[in-house]
Order: sequence, then structure tokens, then C-alpha cells
Amino acid sequence: MMETLAALFTPQLVEATVRLAAPVILAAMAAVVCERSGVTNIAMEGIMLVGAFFAALVAWYTGSPWLGLVGGAAAGALYSLFFAWAAISLHFNHVVAGAIMNILAFGLTRYLMMVAYGRQGTSNAVARTLHDYKTAIPVLSDIPFIGKAFFDQTPIVYLALLSVVAWAWIFKRTRLGLSIEASGEYPMALETMGRSVVKTRYTAVVLGGVMCGLAGAFLSIENSNSFTEGMTDGRGFIALAANIAGGWRPVGVFLASLFFGFVDALQLRAQGLGVIDLPSELFLVFPYVATIAAVAGLVKRSRPPAAVGKDFSVEGGGD
Amino acid sequence: MKRILAIALAACLVAVSCSKPAEKPAEKAKEPPLVAMTTDANGLGDGSFNDGVWAGLQKAEADGLAKAKVLESHAMTDYVPNLSGLAEDGAKLVFGVGFLMVEQIQEAAKAHPETFYAGIDHTYFMDSIPANLIGVSYKEQEAGYLAGIVAGQMTKEFAKNSPKLNDKNVIGAVLGMDIPPVERYLAGYIAGAKSVNPGVDVRYIVAGSFGDRAKGKEATIALIDQGADIVLQIAGLTGMGVIDAARERGIFAIGADVDQNAAAPEFVLTSALKGTTSSAYVTIKELAAGTLKGGVNRVFGLAEGSIDLAPFHQHDAIVPQSVKDAVAKAKAGIVDGSVKVPSALADLGIKK
Amino acid sequence: MRPDRARAIIMTSAAAMAAIGSTLYLASYFAGGLLALAALAIFGFLRRSELGAEGFAAASRSMLKAAAVPAIGIASALAIGAAVMLATGYDPVASYAALFYGGLVRNWHISVLNATPLIFTGLAISFGFKGGLFNIGAEGQYFVGVMAATWLGLKLNLPAPLGVPLVFVVGMLAGAAANLIPAALKVKTGAHEVVTTMMMAYAIRTLSPMFIRANGGDPASSAHPYATAQIGERLWLPLFKDVLPASNYRLHVGVLVAVAAAFAVRFVLDRTDLGFKIRAVGHNPIAARTQGISTARITFATLLISGALASMAGVTQVLGLDHRMFQNLNAGYGWNGISIALLARNDPIAIVFAALLWGVLDAGGQYMARTASTPNAIIEIVKSVILFLLLAEVVYSSSGAAIKRFLAGRKAARAASEGGRS
Repeated sequence: MMETLAALFTPQLVEATVRLAAPVILAAMAAVVCERSGVTNIAMEGIMLVGAFFAALVAWYTGSPWLGLVGGAAAGALYSLFFAWAAISLHFNHVVAGAIMNILAFGLTRYLMMVAYGRQGTSNAVARTLHDYKTAIPVLSDIPFIGKAFFDQTPIVYLALLSVVAWAWIFKRTRLGLSIEASGEYPMALETMGRSVVKTRYTAVVLGGVMCGLAGAFLSIENSNSFTEGMTDGRGFIALAANIAGGWRPVGVFLASLFFGFVDALQLRAQGLGVIDLPSELFLVFPYVATIAAVAGLVKRSRPPAAVGKDFSVEGGGD
Repeated sequence: MKRILAIALAACLVAVSCSKPAEKPAEKAKEPPLVAMTTDANGLGDGSFNDGVWAGLQKAEADGLAKAKVLESHAMTDYVPNLSGLAEDGAKLVFGVGFLMVEQIQEAAKAHPETFYAGIDHTYFMDSIPANLIGVSYKEQEAGYLAGIVAGQMTKEFAKNSPKLNDKNVIGAVLGMDIPPVERYLAGYIAGAKSVNPGVDVRYIVAGSFGDRAKGKEATIALIDQGADIVLQIAGLTGMGVIDAARERGIFAIGADVDQNAAAPEFVLTSALKGTTSSAYVTIKELAAGTLKGGVNRVFGLAEGSIDLAPFHQHDAIVPQSVKDAVAKAKAGIVDGSVKVPSALADLGIKK
Repeated sequence: MRPDRARAIIMTSAAAMAAIGSTLYLASYFAGGLLALAALAIFGFLRRSELGAEGFAAASRSMLKAAAVPAIGIASALAIGAAVMLATGYDPVASYAALFYGGLVRNWHISVLNATPLIFTGLAISFGFKGGLFNIGAEGQYFVGVMAATWLGLKLNLPAPLGVPLVFVVGMLAGAAANLIPAALKVKTGAHEVVTTMMMAYAIRTLSPMFIRANGGDPASSAHPYATAQIGERLWLPLFKDVLPASNYRLHVGVLVAVAAAFAVRFVLDRTDLGFKIRAVGHNPIAARTQGISTARITFATLLISGALASMAGVTQVLGLDHRMFQNLNAGYGWNGISIALLARNDPIAIVFAALLWGVLDAGGQYMARTASTPNAIIEIVKSVILFLLLAEVVYSSSGAAIKRFLAGRKAARAASEGGRS
């Protein structure tokens, strides 16, 4: 028993946790920012997929993974801008607009595969991936057990970790953070202070799009070397769960995402060891059951922003 | 317009087949027959049997044996109209790919007795099979067995031949889901590896999806962390992640279904070929030659020349002759029946 | 005979005509459409005698206006789809001819078969929305319905008149049970139903191969446990073909069950005490509580009923079409039900039409891909544009509302919104 545990709980398990969590962290941070500003965003899955596609396309076309990263982030931002326009300016129900974005993303990437590469399934491989730029941070990466997992990483994983710190700081210390917060809690009050709810929400959604685009780029040009249809495989929805489980706060959401990554990494590694003689389905179901248990136990006191999902117009107030 | 063309084409074909070919030597180039396939709901790009069969159709078209057409199904309700519709478009042979259309293809075959149908991954009851329907299934375990022989020998005896190999005597496999064709591959792989290296530790992980590349990669890294230096993918698009991990960590992946060397030439040692391409091609060739017979279940294995191991490509030099000999010997043994390959984990005494 | 009595008789017979006509139409007897139109004309005539010529003209104008919104939306979406086709080198005229010939005429029965499960899942999700809940995990409850029906179908040895209703009842209970944990957690700890129902859906899907293995690979297909054994024939749903011989041999009467369920949901929501409470909680839980409604109990009931509705999709699919459980993970009826509910704006009757529209686009898209060789990914794009245009409220209805609101004075609106917040 002890031997098994020792074989399971290795530094590599932590590394796997961080890798599995990275795209979820970025997408869940996008959810935090959008929802704190008052926009319910369920479109992360679709935005990620579009980001993944364009990251791979740009990186393949130009040969530069860095341009691919920018392309993925830009595609995520542009696609989100469309979502913002529907949800904020056209006063769509936010869930409706998000659902449309998800459906559209699947059709669009499948169709664009045909247009760009003349085939379906997997795109052309990029010459270099962002994984080639894996960098260890001196000293920090020598911390036993967790050092390599957090501080010997690839560019977008660092960006994911950075986004947590950045958003925690933005919410605590900056005018932008305050505006976003007010826009989600007391939109009318923000408006009377002379700041625009609409502009704040647009900013939040587009910044969220950048993060989803980065999450997509992680999947296609950092963790892999090409785009595969449907490669997000539900991560955008897991991010939605992480946002709620983490109580709409950057650090809580970061921990929730890590938890998802951890249970998934754990079950995969336990399968490989083959010490527990059970059907594979019982391993695979573990992350979902653990999530339900965690949500049941953890989020008793957290609540969503007061005005989240509610349409806003100056004449009509926050309803 | 297309419909009129198709009807005209069908009429021409009937006319041609009614007239005696011996009396009309090939003075006019004969229009090749329309051969069509409909995919299951996964569509093209699955890196597995949909792509494999389509490659067979395209090869036949390139060789002037057929005019190829593909139709992707969107949902299960599409199977009957697609299978029937392709016959109405004048197709002489229609491939239905994937187990989920096992009943629908029998209905379509009964409704269109003049068209041949071939169900990929299907086996039908012999007492009810329509005379124009062919069940096509594969002995994936034989492909797995050959891959297992290579992996089992390379990981131990010849580990020194490549810096990608280690001395831990562990090999691995990543499965998409725990379903029969996948299990057949795995059972053969384990048996093949143990046949040449009884002490080898074969570990496998089920990713739970055929479409999650990142999960496939993470499962492979887990196996690598546990000592594996050769990992077989049996996971469709999830298997692309196995190749991603091999490239990143510098080990060998073994592809499945089709030759996947091109995905990462330096890191794909070989591929276990299920033979969807060759079985489709063989069937079309028989159609063109007029020797195709329906009302049968055909199992494509080594003996039928369908199952095989892909070439080693640039790794040919590091794979010693003795490994190639062992593969050749196993092939001969499987064909003459002296080597029995298990098709289920239970046959190996592994409980599920 | 007294005139109101005569009127009642005419109304009843017109309703019967409408029902028979639509049933015939669904069964691909397109002449049934004329019967339904005739019934509509009778309704119109009665209405006209009721409202007088002017009132009737006004009423029909407003009805036409209401119908214009979806019509314009769909037409514009198709126009955008045509632009995409032109831009990428496909022939929009031939493609759309094939799309509509395939979806509405040639393979209309496929459209109906596609729509049937979507009606149920659409109802399930909109029922949740009415109560202020997002049952995003309808996919999981669909699978539970499939498993319950398959299991009973394999074990149960009852004549159809007893067996089929029993399977439906058990299936619905199972679907409700699948939402038991999310409902209990929602009420007890406030755990968000989006997370819990979605995780339940993933968990159920993940475990489903174990169910298939336990219930026998079908010997007819080389003991292939991709699918369970076939359920007993006596529990299969009747086919339209049994009465209407020209109807397709796979078209089962499940769609009638689905339409009946839509009317039942409308009745429950609009006419019953429970429905009133659900809508009250969905509209404003705090106000509902001050009226003495137990929000916890209503939330619990809403999630359970929503689960039961979603599982009916699975039951119908097994009893009517599949007759077994398949390892068919990309069916997506639960996920697609979200679009249907949104498209219909939670109106149960509109859900039927929205589901049929989706069914037609899917079935017609296949026909288009086959005969016009236009990729059916275009249809996915058209679908999202339809959703987009039909739901772009500002473009149509709410622009009118905004003007009205402006005229009514901004003061009142602001006072109301501030009052609601404090």
C-alpha cells in the first residue's frame, strides 16, 4: 500500500496536474472576469476551440509559434467581441448568446478545416511549438516536489499562473477591478459614478476572450503541434464548473482548476499502475464524482455577483 | 442535374453489364462504377476506419477502378437514407462504416438488391444475410500481436540501439475506450510482447474518449513516468496525443489502423495496420473484375493480406534482423494456424 | 340547437380535424396538411364572428407580425448561408433545393425522427428555465432513460398496453432520480445546478459502457458490446405504418407522445398551482418566498420534473427506434435541447416547431451533402445564425418595447429597479 502511494504521489503527478489544469485555469479565469462584470459566459468552450484553430493556422502559416500565440489570443478576443456585441449591445440572453457561440465554433472550425487544409480531423503540423520554449526559473524550480511543476514550464502555463496573480491584484487594487466588480454588483451605481457599464462589460468579455484564446493555443501549439477537431473536449464546461466551485474569485478558481487537474492526473496514473483491479470506467468517473463532492462541501457561502446574467440598459436600469 | 446524370450513369452501367463483354473489347474507355461510402457520425478525419476506408476508395479511383464518393453521416437517423440514397445515386457498391449501422445496412441492402453493400466492422447472421451484403470485420489482435513482438524485443534486447529506449523493460498502450476492437488490439499486443519477452511489464491506460488529444498525451506521459519507452495508441484522435508525448519525451509511439509515421517520423516506430484500406480496395477490385460475391461475412486478417505491420521507415536501421525475422515467423505461424492469437484479455487470464 | 352549443361542436370537430390533419402530416401524408389548414380556416371563421371584421383584421395582423419574426430570421440566416456557399464555391440554389426537398419531402420522416427526442429534451430544459434553473445535464438524464428502457425491455414480459406505460413511468422516475443529488445539493448547500447536473451527465455517460457490457452484446453482431441485446418486440412503440401503410417503416408514434408532453407541460405551467409557483420562483425567488411559497420544495420539484422529461427522450428512442442501447456518445440530444429551448423561448408548443426545424435542417443537410455535394458543416453555421437572428431581441420586439418604455418615462423604470434592489 505504502509502496503504491509512493509510486503515485510523485513530483511528476504535480507536473501532470499543472499541465491538465493550465487550459482550465485560463478559461475559468475568463469566466470569473466575465461573470464578475455581470455577463454570464458559457461560451468558453467555443472561444477556446476558435483560439486553438487560429493559433495552429497562424503558427503553421508563419512558422512562428509566438505569432500563433498572438493569433490564438486575437481570434479569441475577436470571437468574444462578437459575443459581447450580442449579449451587451443586442441585449441577448447571455446563456443564449453563449450557446450560439459554442454551436457556431464547432461548425466554423470544421468548415474552416476544409477551406484551409482541404481535409477534416487534424491540421498540418506546425514547424515549432511553444513547448520548445520551456524555461526553468532559477532557484524556484529547485523547490522540492512542486518546483518543477510550477517553475519549469512552457510559456502559456506561465501565462495561466500569471493570470491568477494578475486578476487577484486587479480586483483588489485597480480602478478596472473596481469597475468590473461594480458592473456586476451595482451597475446603476457605476453608471451614476460616470463610468460606462457597457464599456466595462465589453472590456471584461474581450479580456476573457484573450484568455480563452490562449487556452486554445495551449492545446494546439504548446501541448500538441496541430489542431484537432473538437480538441477542447469539454474543458470550457469544466472551466464553468471551476468558476462556480471556486466561488467567482481568482485564487479559489485557481485551486478548483488545480483540483480538477489533480483528480484527473491521479486516476490516469492509478490506471497505469494497475494495482486497483476495477473496470476503467470507475477510474474515469472519479473526477466528476469528486467535483460534485467538492462543490457540495466547498461552496456553501459563495454567491454569484448580484447582477450577473441580467441585461443592462441605462433607461431600464440593471434589470 | 446530378440525379439525372446518376440515373443515366446507372442506365449505362446496366446496359454495359447486360451486353456480353467478350464481344465488345475495350475499344471505348468504360466508365468506372460509382463506389460510395457513408461514415458513421464521427465523420472523416477520425484517423481510423472512416479515413482508412476512404483511402481505399481513393486508391481505387486513382487506379481507374471506381469513381469514389463519400457521405458523412451526422446522426444515427441518417444511416438508412444515406445508405439507400447512395444506391439511388447509382453506386454499385456502398460501404457503411462503423458498427452503429449494423441493422440499417441490412435494411438498405434488402431495399436495393442490385447494389452491393459492405458493412465495415460488421458480422451478420448467416441465415438472414441478404445476397448483396458483405460483412467485413478484422482480426485487430493479429496487428496488435505483431506490434507487441517488435515492442517486446526492442524494449529489452535491443534497448541499446536507440537513445529513446531504456532498460526498465516496460511498454505501454493508451486505449480510447474499453470496447471490443480496442480490446482485441490490446490482447494481441500483450500476447505478442510476452511471446518474445515473458518478463515484460505491459501497462495500459484508458483515456475515456476517442477525441481528447491532451488526455491521450497525459496518459502517455504517465506511462513514460512509470518506465515505458514504447507506447501503442489504440485511441483514434486521442492517439494523436500519444504521438505528441513521444515527440516531446523522446520515446517511441506505435500507430494504429493506418500508417501514422508521417505524424512524427522520428518518433513513430511503426504502425499496426488494421487493413481497412486494403480490405476496401480488395472489395472494389473484385467488383471491377466481376467476381464480388455477397451474402458472406469476411474476416480480414493476415491470411487475407489485410492486417500487417507498417514499414519501419527511417528506423529500419535500428530494428535488427532478428526482430524482423520474429515478425515474419509470427506472420507465417498465424497464417498456418500454428500461432493462436488471443482476442480478449480474458484469454490471457486478465480480469476486467 | 343553441348557438353556443353549435359553436362548441364546431370547435371540437375543428380541433379533431387539426389533430388528425397534423398527425397525418407527421406520418408523411402531406394531404393531411390541407385538413389542418381547413381546421385553421374554421377557427379563423369562428374567431371572425366573435371579434367582428375589424377586430379580426387587427388580430390577424398581429399574428402575422408575430410570424414574421421567425420567418424573416430563418430567411436571413439562409441568405447568409448562401453567401458563405458562394464565397467558398458552392451553388446555393441547388444546395437549398436539395436541403428542402430532402428535409421537408423526401426524408421528412427522418426530420420527424430527429425532432422527437429534441422535443423532450427541449421541454426538459425550458421547464428548468421557467423555474429559474439551468438543467444543463439533460444529456445524462437522456442516457438514464435509455438505460431504464433497455433494462426493462430486456427483463419485462408484459403485454404492450401495460408494458409501454410502465416503461415510461419507470424511465421518468429514473430520470427524476438522476437529478436527485443535484436537486438535494441545490436546496441544502446551494451547489449550482449547472455544475452538478453537468458532472452527473459526464459521470453517467462514462459509466454507460458498464451497463452495456452487463446487458449482453448482441449475438447478431458478433457479440459486440458496443450495444446491448435487443429488447422484446412486444414493447416496441407502434408505427404509423400499422395504420397508414404509405408511411415510412421506421416512423414510430413517439412524436405524438412528444407533442402530447408539450401540451401537458403547457397545461401544468399555465393552469396549475404547481406551475404558478414554479414560474413565481423562476421569476423572483424572494418575492415568491414572501408570498409563502417554499422555494426549496419548488426548486426540488422543478429539477426532478425536468429530469423526468429529459429521460422520456431516451425511453422513446429505445422503444421506438433503437430497440437497444448503443454506445452512441455523439447523439447529443441533451445538449441540442438547450438550443431548442432557447429558440422557442421556453414556449412548449413553439418547442415542437423548433425541434422540427432542427430535424429538417439535419435531415435535409444530409440530403444536400449527398445530392449537391455541399458540406453539411454549412448547416451548422446556418443553425447558429438562425438562433442568433431569432433571438436578437433588440432588432425586433424589444425595439418597440424600448420606445414604449421611453414614452412611459424613465422615472418609473428607475424607481422600480431601485425599489427591487434595496
